[in-house]
Amino acid sequence: MTTYTHSTIVAGIPWKNPVATASGTFLAEASTQYYDVSELGAVTTKGVSPIPWEGNPSPRTAESPSGTVNSVGLQNPGIDHYLANDLPQLKQLGATVITNVAGHTPDDYIQVVKKLDNSPADMLEINVSCPNVNAGGLSIGTDPTTLYNLITDLRKTNQQTNSSSNSPPTVTDITTIAKAATDAGADALSLINTLIGMRINTTTGQPILANTTGGLSGPAILPIGLANVWKVRTALPHTPIIGIGGIHNAHTALEYLYAGANAIEIGATALLNPQAPHTIAQELETLLDQRPALAAKLAAGETWR
Amino acid sequence: MPREWTTATRNPHATPARQPGRRTVPVIRVQALADTIIELTLQDAHTARTARPGQFVMLYTHDQSRLMPRPFGVAGTNGDTFTIIFAIVGEGTRQFSTLREGDTIDMLGPLGGQAFNLDQPGDYLLVGGGLGIPPLLYAAQRLAAKPDTRTTAILGYRDTRYADTRMQTHTPHTHSITNAQGDVLTLLNTLEPNPNPDQPLTILTCGPKPMMQAVHQWAQTHNANCQTCMEQRMGCGYGACVACTIPTIHGNTKTCTEGPVFPSTTIIW
Ligand SMILES: Cc1cc2nc3c(=O)[nH]c(=O)nc-3n(C[C@H](O)[C@H](O)[C@H](O)COP(=O)(O)OP(=O)(O)OC[C@H]3O[C@@H](n4cnc5c(N)ncnc54)[C@H](O)[C@@H]3O)c2cc1C
Ligand SMILES: Cc1cc2nc3c(=O)[nH]c(=O)nc-3n(C[C@H](O)[C@H](O)[C@H](O)COP(=O)(O)O)c2cc1C
Ligand code: FES
Repeated sequence: MTTYTHSTIVAGIPWKNPVATASGTFLAEASTQYYDVSELGAVTTKGVSPIPWEGNPSPRTAESPSGTVNSVGLQNPGIDHYLANDLPQLKQLGATVITNVAGHTPDDYIQVVKKLDNSPADMLEINVSCPNVNAGGLSIGTDPTTLYNLITDLRKTNQQTNSSSNSPPTVTDITTIAKAATDAGADALSLINTLIGMRINTTTGQPILANTTGGLSGPAILPIGLANVWKVRTALPHTPIIGIGGIHNAHTALEYLYAGANAIEIGATALLNPQAPHTIAQELETLLDQRPALAAKLAAGETWR
Repeated sequence: MPREWTTATRNPHATPARQPGRRTVPVIRVQALADTIIELTLQDAHTARTARPGQFVMLYTHDQSRLMPRPFGVAGTNGDTFTIIFAIVGEGTRQFSTLREGDTIDMLGPLGGQAFNLDQPGDYLLVGGGLGIPPLLYAAQRLAAKPDTRTTAILGYRDTRYADTRMQTHTPHTHSITNAQGDVLTLLNTLEPNPNPDQPLTILTCGPKPMMQAVHQWAQTHNANCQTCMEQRMGCGYGACVACTIPTIHGNTKTCTEGPVFPSTTIIW
C-alpha cells in the first residue's frame, strides 16, 4: 500500500493522485488482477452504450511505430450490465470511477447518462471522438454546434455527475470545440482521443484492420496530445483538463501537468504493461515531491499554467 | 500542507487474486529446429509451475518502436523453465531469433482463460498444423503423465518436420505429413485413431483455421469432443482492450480471456 501525498482536484472531484486509466484500456475484471485500483487517482471505464454493442470485425489491432492502431468499435455489454457489475465492483474496491459514455445518436448518449443519474459514478466522460464508429463519436466531436446541443441535453438529463467531454485532436481548431463543450456545461475536458490511422499488409496489399482504419495511440501521439492541452489551456485558463495521449512514464505524465492539465490518463501503455498506471502513479509521487510548487497547485485544484 | 491519502479499508472478498506483471526473465537456451523455426527456453518459475496447455505468454521486443506484445503458446515445461517454439515471420520474431543464452527478455503470463481440458480419460487425438503444433506438444507432455489416457498425434508441416522428435518423447503414436504429401485430413482418414470405440475420444487441435474447421467437421461425424486453440491479433493479452475477438455463438468473444481454447461447436466457422 502506497501513501499518496500529492492529490489533485478535477472539476470538484478529489483524486488521491493525478493518474487515471484511459477508457478502453482498462477493464475491471482484467486490470484488477495486476494492481489495487483504489491506489489510482481514478479509473476510466470502457465506453458504455444503451444496449450491448458487438463492435467491429477482427483484426482490430495493428502495431505502428511506437504506437498501436485499434478499431475495437466500442464493443461493450451495455449500461445495464455496467450498472449491475463493473461499477459496483469498482466502487467496492475503493476506486474513483469515471464512466465513459458512448453513443451513435444523441438519444443513445441521453439514455446512458439518464441511467447514470444518481449512480455511484464519480465523473462521466462523454466520448465524442471515437474514430471507430460510423455514426456518433467523431462526427459529434468535430462539429461545435452538434457538440453544444448534445452536452446541453446531457446536462439537463443528469445534473448530479460531473462530466468531461473527450475531444478529438483531428479538428481544425480544438479550442472552438473545447469552448462549445464548456459553454454547454461540460465541467472538464479530456484531451485527446486517438487519431485516425491505418496499416497495410505488404504481402496481401490489404489493410491489416478489418475496419480499414482505426485510432492511433501510444507514445507516437505524445507531442500531439501535449500541443492540444497547451492550446486549450491557453484559450480556457480555468477549465479543468485531463491530459491524455502517449503517456508512458512519470516524466511524460509530468509534461502534461506542466502543459496545464489537472490530471492525466494512461491508455495504450497499460496494454503493454498491465501495472503501468500504478507504477507511473508511484513514480509521479516522487517527481512531485521534488516539485512542491506544482504539487501545491494541483492539490488546490489549480494548474501550472 | 497537502492532504494525505491512504488506501481505504475494503471488503477482502472483493479483492481479486493478483497476477505477476510484466517481468524480465533470463534466456536459458536458443535452438534452431528448422531454417526459420526456433525453440526458446526461458526461466520463469511461475510460468513453469502454473501454465496449462493452450495457454500462452507475451514476449516484448527491446525495441522502443515495436511495443506491442507477441503471443506464443507454451510448448513445454521443465523444472523452473519453459519453452516456446516460433517461426520467424516478422521483425519481432526476427529479433527474438537473435537472443542468446544469458540474454534477457520481457514477458507476461501465462495468459489465456481457457486451456485444453485434459480431465477426460480415454483416447486423445492431437491434430496440429504448422505453428499450431507447439501448444499440442505441451498437451502431450501433460497427457503422458496421465495413465488413463492414450495419445495419438497427427502433425502437418509445410516442409521440415520440426516437432516430430519432441512429440515422440511424449507419445509413440506420432504421425506426420508435409504439404507436398497432403494434409492432416489425409492422415486422419487413413488412421484408426480411436482403436477402442467404447472409450471417449477427445480431439485437441491447433493450426490454420481451415484445418481446424475440417477437424471440427471430422469430430462431428466421429462423435468426438473437439477443443480448438484459436489465434487472433492481440492488443494486451489479459482482457483489457477487447481487440482479440473472434465470432462465436455467444457473439464476438475475446480469445485471450475467454479462450484461446474453445469447444469447436461454439466457433462460427
Ligand atoms: C494465442 C496465440 C498463440 C501463438 N502461438 C504461437 C507459437 O507458439 N508459435 C509461433 O510461431 N507463433 C505463434 N503465434 C503467432 C505469433 O504471435 C506471431 O507470429 C508473432 O506475433 C509475429 O510477430 P512479428 O513481430 O514477427 O511479426 P510482425 O508482423 O512484425 O508483428 C506485428 C504485430 O502483429 C502481431 N501479429 C503478427 N502476426 C500475428 C499472428 N499470426 N497472430 C497474432 N498476432 C500477430 C504481432 O504480435 C505484432 O503485434 C501465436 C498467436 C496467438 C494469438
Ligand atoms: C484499445 C483502445 C480502446 C479505446 N476505447 C475507447 C473508448 O471506449 N472510449 C474512449 O473515449 N476512448 C477510447 N480509447 C482512447 C483512449 O482512451 C485514449 O484517449 C487514447 O488511447 C490516447 O491515449 P494513449 O496514447 O495513452 O493510448 C481507446 C484506446 C485504445 C488503445
Ligand atoms: S488482447 Fe486485449 S482483450 Fe484480448
